Amino acid sequence: MADEFPFEISPMFEGERVRKDDMYVELAGPKSKGFELVNAVETDEIEDGKFTLIGPDISDMEEGGRYPLAMIYRIAGELVEPDLEAIVERRNHDFQNYIQGVMHLNQRYDVWLRINKDSIAKGLNSFEDIAKATMMLFTNELPFIEKIEATYITDMEKVEEELAKAMERYAARDERTRNLHDEDVDTFYGCSLCQSFAPTSVCVITPDRIALCGAINWFDGRAAAKVDPEGPQFPIEKGELLDEIGGEYSGVNEVAQKLSGGEYNRIKIHSFFEFPHTSCGCFEVVGFYMPEVDGIGWVDRDYTGMAPNGLAFSTMAGQTGGGKQVIGFLGVGVNYFRSPKFIQADGGWNRVVWMPKVLKDKVLADIPAEIVDKVATEEDAQDLDTLKEFLNEKDHPVVKNWVADEDEEVDEDEESTGTSTAMPVFGMPDPAMQLNIPPMTGGGSGGIKITLKNAKVSIDKIILSSKK
Amino acid sequence: MKVVAITGKGGTGKTAVAAMLIRWLVDRDATILAIDADPDSNLPEALGDVVGQTLADQREFLLEERDNLPPDTDKELLLESRIYSILSEQHGYDLLVMGRPEGSGCYCFTNNLLRNIMDRIIKNYDLVIIDTAAGLEHLSRGIIRDVDELVVVTDGSRRGLRTAERIRDIEKELDLKVRHMFVIFNKVTPENRERLNKYAQELGLEVAGMVPFDEDIARFDLDGKALSELSGTSPAVIEMENIIMKLGI
Repeated sequence: MADEFPFEISPMFEGERVRKDDMYVELAGPKSKGFELVNAVETDEIEDGKFTLIGPDISDMEEGGRYPLAMIYRIAGELVEPDLEAIVERRNHDFQNYIQGVMHLNQRYDVWLRINKDSIAKGLNSFEDIAKATMMLFTNELPFIEKIEATYITDMEKVEEELAKAMERYAARDERTRNLHDEDVDTFYGCSLCQSFAPTSVCVITPDRIALCGAINWFDGRAAAKVDPEGPQFPIEKGELLDEIGGEYSGVNEVAQKLSGGEYNRIKIHSFFEFPHTSCGCFEVVGFYMPEVDGIGWVDRDYTGMAPNGLAFSTMAGQTGGGKQVIGFLGVGVNYFRSPKFIQADGGWNRVVWMPKVLKDKVLADIPAEIVDKVATEEDAQDLDTLKEFLNEKDHPVVKNWVADEDEEVDEDEESTGTSTAMPVFGMPDPAMQLNIPPMTGGGSGGIKITLKNAKVSIDKIILSSKK
Repeated sequence: MKVVAITGKGGTGKTAVAAMLIRWLVDRDATILAIDADPDSNLPEALGDVVGQTLADQREFLLEERDNLPPDTDKELLLESRIYSILSEQHGYDLLVMGRPEGSGCYCFTNNLLRNIMDRIIKNYDLVIIDTAAGLEHLSRGIIRDVDELVVVTDGSRRGLRTAERIRDIEKELDLKVRHMFVIFNKVTPENRERLNKYAQELGLEVAGMVPFDEDIARFDLDGKALSELSGTSPAVIEMENIIMKLGI
């Protein structure tokens, strides 16, 4: 079949680089303009296999020249829908790299192509060959594409005109991907990169929760797992939804058990207190519970000062890291602050009382309007006393949890003054506030196993009572 | 395709040796990827080249911009393209500068992408020559895997030899799967030639060559002139012939 083309087609040509010395023409790329776009259309709108070129062809191009290039594919089929456009479009990269002597780099409006001199010598002189080979690969490899039509543009004015239209399509697509949530997918992704230094770390990446390092979102997980499912990023079948608010899934729990070597068997991905996500050590931000105000503060890697609990990022990171579930601390990626499910099991933003100004400004647009002025920064509060004052003054939602016993509050203030800049002592919560200690698991019938490793939490009172 | 890493203590002339090797190989029609992996070194200068951006700049770009990119951006494709765009493409060789070390954030994922990208890139060349610091940082991060030949350049000093010994230990520790390790003596004079050979033997280091002290190199260095313009009859350049035979490249 490939005989009809003046070049060979094979996955073995992937990664083939066309150096400047060997290049006949350069298309699009950082020094010119171009894009690739796949549009889903109705079956009767297109003619299968049709190719249109607007602008000069390869044979009209000067050796060593640089030209703009737009590649627009229109696809149709019973199963073709707009949601598939992005996935199909990304394959243009793969397929064009299967063509010997053609180098395709990057994506969307950043595509960059080069054609090798050897290919020209072997008879490649028209974009039609490249487009037809690419369309053939599209329909062979993605059988749901029943009809495909291609338009290539090498005329700068026309490329610019079409690019403006394409940008609108991309923007609409981005809007859709930003609105993708945990409930919309069947598969999450896991990452084991951190296990080299945090062996029990279980990193779960979902549409609503970026990896702790901030580097891997759900789409990155999907892309990496597709290339190498045995690699460091791998799919996790969600399984059964066990707790909607906390974000607990049977599939995640199974993976947690396996990945942590049995250390953890439950993870709630949107919970701070109950079976929280493990913290690797790579996290961009660490959250810390302050029982004195029943609120959660966050401090990022770049903030070198002390948080109101008297601790620096590095100290808390040291305590939290290592791939453990540490109640009272939680590592997250910055983008998690933009998640609509941000620690939703524990009140979400209504529980956030403090963060460094730079971090707050970074995510400002995503903080709910009614709480944004009530979250303190180092400019408002440097220790627990000033934080309390600030929260009280702003009537932060956590304040209503304190008022139940005002008298005791006063006593505690006195007591805690001296310790507010020392190590955190979680021993003085107001009786009215409840630290949501998770039920210890592994009980079953007869016997109880409590494992506290490297614990620095002191508890005022534990009440064990039988279920009524 | 073969990967040769050239390392050694600062000031021993490892960059000069790397530049001369590259020059010699390009003259013989090999296609080379030259990688400057030593933040303190000046391989571009020695090759008469000016490089604007580094691989580290691209890595930082991704770190800075990742939350602003379209969510489904393929970051490996993006990073690959940016690295291709900063390669200095010269006749016979491309030059990549690694740039400054990592910052404080987490680079696990980005480095993993870089590993895949570098694996793909280096396959396109007959030879990859890496000028790297004695700590072998980029090798230890695994961004460039599978070094075939590790060459330690050292001068006649005891300390230089000690560095060679230490590098051998690091190499073992890192389990780099280096096929051979060689030492090249640089700035060799007729007086110390025999003694250096003996030292190397005592330490169990295989000698790939002895580059004689060369007035021209010292002068080029002072004038900031590219070593790639050294005359083909320079004694140092002639020694490259022997070294290449010995290295089997």
